[in-house]
Amino acid sequence: MKKLFLVWGILSIVFGGTAFGAEKELKIFIWSEYMDEENMPKEFENATGIKVRLDLYESNEEMMAKLQAGGVSQYDIIVPSDYIMPSLINLKLIQPLDHSKIPNLKNLGAKFKETSFDPGNKYAVGWQWGTVGLMYRKDRIRDADVQSWAIIFDPEKDPGPFALIDSVREMMGIALLYLGYDFNSIEPKELKAAADLLIQTKKRNTCLGFKGGVGGKNDVVAGAAAAAIVYNGDAIQAIAEDPKNLGFVVPKEGSEIWLDSMCIPAEAPNPDAAHKWINWILDPKVNASLTNYNHFATPNEAAMPYLDKEDLENPGVWPTPEIMKTLVFTKDLGKDNRIMDEAWTRAKSH
Amino acid sequence: MRKSHPLIIAVAMFTLGFLYLPLVAVAVFSVNATRYGLVWRGFTLDWYLKLCQNEFILNAAWNTLVLAVVSTVAATILGTVLAIGMDRFPWGRKANTSLDLVLHIPVVIPDIILAAALVVAFGLLRVVSSLFEPGLLNMIIGHITFQISFVALVVRSRLVSIGRDVEEVARDLFASTPYVLRRVTIPLLLPGIVAGAMLAFTLSLDDFVISFFTAGPESVTLPLFIFAAVRRGVTPQIHALSTLVVLITVILIVGMERFTRK
Amino acid sequence: MIKLLVWYGELTTRKNLAKRGLLFLGAGMLWLMVFLVLPGLVLIGVSFATRGAYGELVWEFTLENYKRMAGFSLFGWTADYIMILWRSVWVAFVTTLISVVLSYPLSFFICARPERTRYFWLTLVIIPFWTNMVIRTYAWFLILAPELPLAKIAAFFGLIPQSAPLYPNAFAVYLGMVSMFLPFVTLPLYASVERLDWALVEAAQDLYASKVRVFTQAILPQTMPGLSVGIILTFVPAMGMFVVPDLLGGAKYMLVGNLIQQQFGASRDWPFGAAISMGLMVLTMISLQLYRRRSKEIEFV
Repeated sequence: MKKLFLVWGILSIVFGGTAFGAEKELKIFIWSEYMDEENMPKEFENATGIKVRLDLYESNEEMMAKLQAGGVSQYDIIVPSDYIMPSLINLKLIQPLDHSKIPNLKNLGAKFKETSFDPGNKYAVGWQWGTVGLMYRKDRIRDADVQSWAIIFDPEKDPGPFALIDSVREMMGIALLYLGYDFNSIEPKELKAAADLLIQTKKRNTCLGFKGGVGGKNDVVAGAAAAAIVYNGDAIQAIAEDPKNLGFVVPKEGSEIWLDSMCIPAEAPNPDAAHKWINWILDPKVNASLTNYNHFATPNEAAMPYLDKEDLENPGVWPTPEIMKTLVFTKDLGKDNRIMDEAWTRAKSH
Repeated sequence: MRKSHPLIIAVAMFTLGFLYLPLVAVAVFSVNATRYGLVWRGFTLDWYLKLCQNEFILNAAWNTLVLAVVSTVAATILGTVLAIGMDRFPWGRKANTSLDLVLHIPVVIPDIILAAALVVAFGLLRVVSSLFEPGLLNMIIGHITFQISFVALVVRSRLVSIGRDVEEVARDLFASTPYVLRRVTIPLLLPGIVAGAMLAFTLSLDDFVISFFTAGPESVTLPLFIFAAVRRGVTPQIHALSTLVVLITVILIVGMERFTRK
Repeated sequence: MIKLLVWYGELTTRKNLAKRGLLFLGAGMLWLMVFLVLPGLVLIGVSFATRGAYGELVWEFTLENYKRMAGFSLFGWTADYIMILWRSVWVAFVTTLISVVLSYPLSFFICARPERTRYFWLTLVIIPFWTNMVIRTYAWFLILAPELPLAKIAAFFGLIPQSAPLYPNAFAVYLGMVSMFLPFVTLPLYASVERLDWALVEAAQDLYASKVRVFTQAILPQTMPGLSVGIILTFVPAMGMFVVPDLLGGAKYMLVGNLIQQQFGASRDWPFGAAISMGLMVLTMISLQLYRRRSKEIEFV
């Protein structure tokens, strides 16, 4: 009998505790190292009295998997990339935003108010945008060598230990671009060629395998890797602390340009707090502090005056027009997502 | 007592060294005063201090503990009753073998299959009731499921070794069933029950795969936390956390040994 | 005429006993039914389902997942998945073999210690056994790091590039697997070795048997019970392991555990994941059958 009471007692503490906290808590599911994880939540709490709980992921697919496995009613804010938005909308995993609760929406740049995947900001509000590129150690690889993706894919070249990025669309896309195909190709022959290229590349003994963007960046910083495919902001963050030895470049064959947005899952426990968060992020000064921290580019026009001059002039953060021409938005493939996923499973399992 | 061939001693020592090399390495680097790289830069307890301030880690430790305690208590009760039910009653041969089979399933199959089955089952149950969101409840259910088998097996072997005599004597002395249970069977069984419970507890603390597949945002446990952190890049704070976990394990084991030796 | 029987000293009917017995069995069995057997059946069902365009589960019967596992993918026939299943069996086999080879000397050694210190040595083996597997695995990152001697030696022999860590690769995976499963073999084996009748071994030696024959004829059969428990406790979980290959193998050395985890994760292909789990289940069943057959032989030793 006593044991039963003990069990009940513990159960009620565990579940009771969570029930009480729900009102004043905001659960954010976001890419790792995308904001100052220690201070930003505290600032939000100071401004609104709502406690923030962070959960992190390394790729859109990981986030989708979690949502589909039940996360849709456990998080208040998610930060998906542009190409995955149609899937989210189609599967009814996110809810429309209540613009009356987001007066700061006016701060977004015009381009980001009418995106192709969500015109009128019905479901999403831009968070940050950026690119994918190659981060490398200047003390191990010369600047001249990294101007092409060949440094990674050409077996003749020896970049030292390197990491590929563990993200299906970005990695496959880069392989496709290198082979001269379209970033968003769904031709089985082309996908097979790209998958085979990845298989050959990862089999080389200098390849450290597939890592999340943040993992790869940390490897380069620690010296365990000489090069890694990473998101630009992560790289610039690290370079800021060690400009002599670290560098970032978008190789000439091109790469991906992406836009991450804030969305609210369909069954979010606290959509009110979620709207407050979105509005708070859109505040020019807050947005500027976010952008200055993570060194990505912001869609928030009103924040521009508050940004670091160095970042504004850094082509790694704000690409030049020439680089822009080589950057491609990832497209949602609808039912053709399947062949892309199979190519990826093939690349990883061989 | 035989004298061992020197080669055997050498191999045995090598094997033990091999087993401990990883743990020692972690302990050594948990006090290394450098954030990146492995060059020795001096002794420091900084990382341990930072640990205590890290809310995520404290939260994960709490979850791990709650999960282990709740699931162990439930599994011990269910498993003990199950073992008594299986051994102390005259079931036919067929019934016995099929019961035995079901009981052995969680023990012998790779736990990833069990985890996959649970994910799928919870996914369907979620449609019926929102109680089955990934989270602590799912994890507890998953843990209990494999713990029951281990507890039942341990208790059953103890039941077998107790034999029939004492209970028969009790019956001869006109004891009623509840009395026999309460005053004869359970007390005799206690060492087995405790052993089973301890086994279940350690299995839960150590579990990674089942937890990985059933965890929700707020129910991160220590093994899950360490795994996620390691994939992003190992930091000395993780080494400090790991060393602490190893130390706690050692204390638990030594405590267990003392307890069972009595 | 109600048939009475005496059970554990109690005079009662079979029915009564059955009713009481069900009461005891009830809760536990119900739990196992609901959370073990039923999910298992559902998993089998899911392996015949289809994956929707956006990664959701669609209940349309199809044999495609199994066809894909057999190699008939959208890119023509590949042996990829069969390779992975085979590779997992092989890795499990090698891990078990090395663990057995290392466990015998260790068990002999502990046995040869005086009674008082035996507990100490046993505890030394138990501690890593109970230490969390994630910790034990990632610790190899440190030992195989570029700055430490192991990696430097490998680089010196040209096996890996300069200043690269000695992972991820097959060697690191084997290291991790063996270090993970060694205690699983040692502890049951030790239980058998402790009961070894050394008189038989001495007799064999007296009869001028070679060292090898002494082992295979005198020691091995006697330690069979412990050895077989150790083997089955290592081989089956090793086949389904995914932490070690994931951390130490990267995506370069994929085993069936990683493949399953990938399908339930980023690939969002539950049906395919379920089909692979079934494949692993079949392998497990085969191993267990082989084990049962051999342990029947053991009875007669």
